[in-house]
Amino acid sequence: MSIGTLSFSHLTTGQQLAIKYYSVAVILFAAQVLFGLLAGLQYLRPDFLYEVLDFSVNRMVHVNAMVVWMLYGFMGAIFWLVEEEAGVELVGAKLANLGFWVLTAAVTVVVLVYLFVQIGPGTMESLWFINEGREYIEAPRWADIGIVICLLIFFYNISATFMKGKWSGISGVLVLDLVAVAGLYLAGMFYITNTSVEQYWWWWVIHMWVEATWEVLVGCIMAWGLIKTLGASRKIVTTWLYIEVALMLGSGILGLGHHYFWIGTPEYWFTVGGFFSALEPVPLVAMVVHAVYDSGVHRFKNSNHPALAWFIAHAFGNFFGAGVFGFMHTLPQINLYTHGSQWSSSHGHLAFFGAYATINIAMFYMGIQKWRGDVYMSANIAHSWRWKWALSLLCLGMTGMTIALLISGYEQSFIERALGGATWAAYFEAQQTAWYVQGMVWRQIWGYVFASGLVLLIWDLLTIGKGDTRPMLLPEPAEH
Amino acid sequence: MFEPVGVNDMMVAAMAGAMIVMFGAAYAFAFALSKLNKKRWLAFAAYGCFAGLTVNVLILAKSLNMNGFWTIVAITMLVGYLLAPQAIWKLSVGTHESSDSK
Repeated sequence: MSIGTLSFSHLTTGQQLAIKYYSVAVILFAAQVLFGLLAGLQYLRPDFLYEVLDFSVNRMVHVNAMVVWMLYGFMGAIFWLVEEEAGVELVGAKLANLGFWVLTAAVTVVVLVYLFVQIGPGTMESLWFINEGREYIEAPRWADIGIVICLLIFFYNISATFMKGKWSGISGVLVLDLVAVAGLYLAGMFYITNTSVEQYWWWWVIHMWVEATWEVLVGCIMAWGLIKTLGASRKIVTTWLYIEVALMLGSGILGLGHHYFWIGTPEYWFTVGGFFSALEPVPLVAMVVHAVYDSGVHRFKNSNHPALAWFIAHAFGNFFGAGVFGFMHTLPQINLYTHGSQWSSSHGHLAFFGAYATINIAMFYMGIQKWRGDVYMSANIAHSWRWKWALSLLCLGMTGMTIALLISGYEQSFIERALGGATWAAYFEAQQTAWYVQGMVWRQIWGYVFASGLVLLIWDLLTIGKGDTRPMLLPEPAEH
Repeated sequence: MFEPVGVNDMMVAAMAGAMIVMFGAAYAFAFALSKLNKKRWLAFAAYGCFAGLTVNVLILAKSLNMNGFWTIVAITMLVGYLLAPQAIWKLSVGTHESSDSK
């Protein structure tokens, strides 16, 4: 094994596949940022690229790229850990490889069609072949079916591997969650003419994926990552995975109610949504106790500084993005004015970055370490400024964007909703106020900071550990 | 069912919501440290943070016109933030002791 050199011989079959998923994820991450910057510019100069690349398309690609790159990251992470966790080779490796290429080809075709067929009448044909028209899950019906098939292949690969090998607490939770990931997507695949009912099911995909199944996936990946980078006790990590899943699902599933406030569903959703939304941040806060306990009782040495730094960024990002910025406007009394405004966008940016982008980046660093033959990645690695600056610029850029969007969102909620009564005229009036415009200008500036962090991150991922012949520091098991 | 926030209270309500979660985390942090280091002043700091949380829940309840059912939500929030860190601490000690004894 040649340390410091990229070689697939360092990797298992599943991990080789994971590298492919990670590579596409990084490309889509870059696409997300690029289209986000273009859409941001269109807020400032509405005529920019008008009828060439319309705002509606830019925004759609920006959001879809985010959903898909995160999904690619998660799938890669699970392929990465499955063989080590099960203790056997990946079952159905050829099928898994085929699934990857089919999914990637489908994503490419979908994006190209988005870009080449930007406007036109909405018909059953356009729904099947161009754009389904549902916000965030715009992929046409043929691609929806393809996504579910690919997820089922993925489910087969993972569950069959665990069935052939050994089960663990992490793998049990993971496999059950994969059923929900594939199953819940079905809720976004049928069309109902009643908008309220339509939105009711649509939120099952959006909310349940993000605030239930993805959270559980991340919990599993985090649990495995902590065992590998810190040498944390498997028994303790597994126990806490169960506790966290119970707490998250306990408040998260019915927290769905905060999306049902304004879509025409019965009034009891105010009660259900308000109650469970109020409790949603409690598990995040309570987990601070466990973090303090572990850092105080154990003295860990870690095997991968950049990965651990991104795991820590995940803990903080999840807390601030989902917890603080979520609870600011989740109760119906205030959400009446803030929902669907730049305020929601502010919360969404920080929550997605904090909860999901960070943990995917941590797994990319774990991947690159092994791809380079378990190269040393602890203190004093060469060019460590790159990962540190990448992390700083990405976090700073995202924080800046979040605050700028919050300022615009506050102005929008105030002028358009509270004072203007959410009329069409008030919608435009709010977007011309000085505070709104300045917020959008600053969002763009922080967007450039974020993009520069991404460039640095990609550079670092391509070069970190190159030529370093020191072997990885093995994490020491917890001291009690 | 509910009375919307007053226009002039929107900022106050949003800030109070954010501060509830921040004080909740500060309470959990100080509480865990006080248990870990067995320092009395940290326990006082923890309950000081909880007092801050309580004040912000009251501000939120007032600004969001949380009457009737919403009073129960506010009280449940307070109880949840108070007890959850203590329960997690007990679970932490329990799971680690059980692991050590193996």
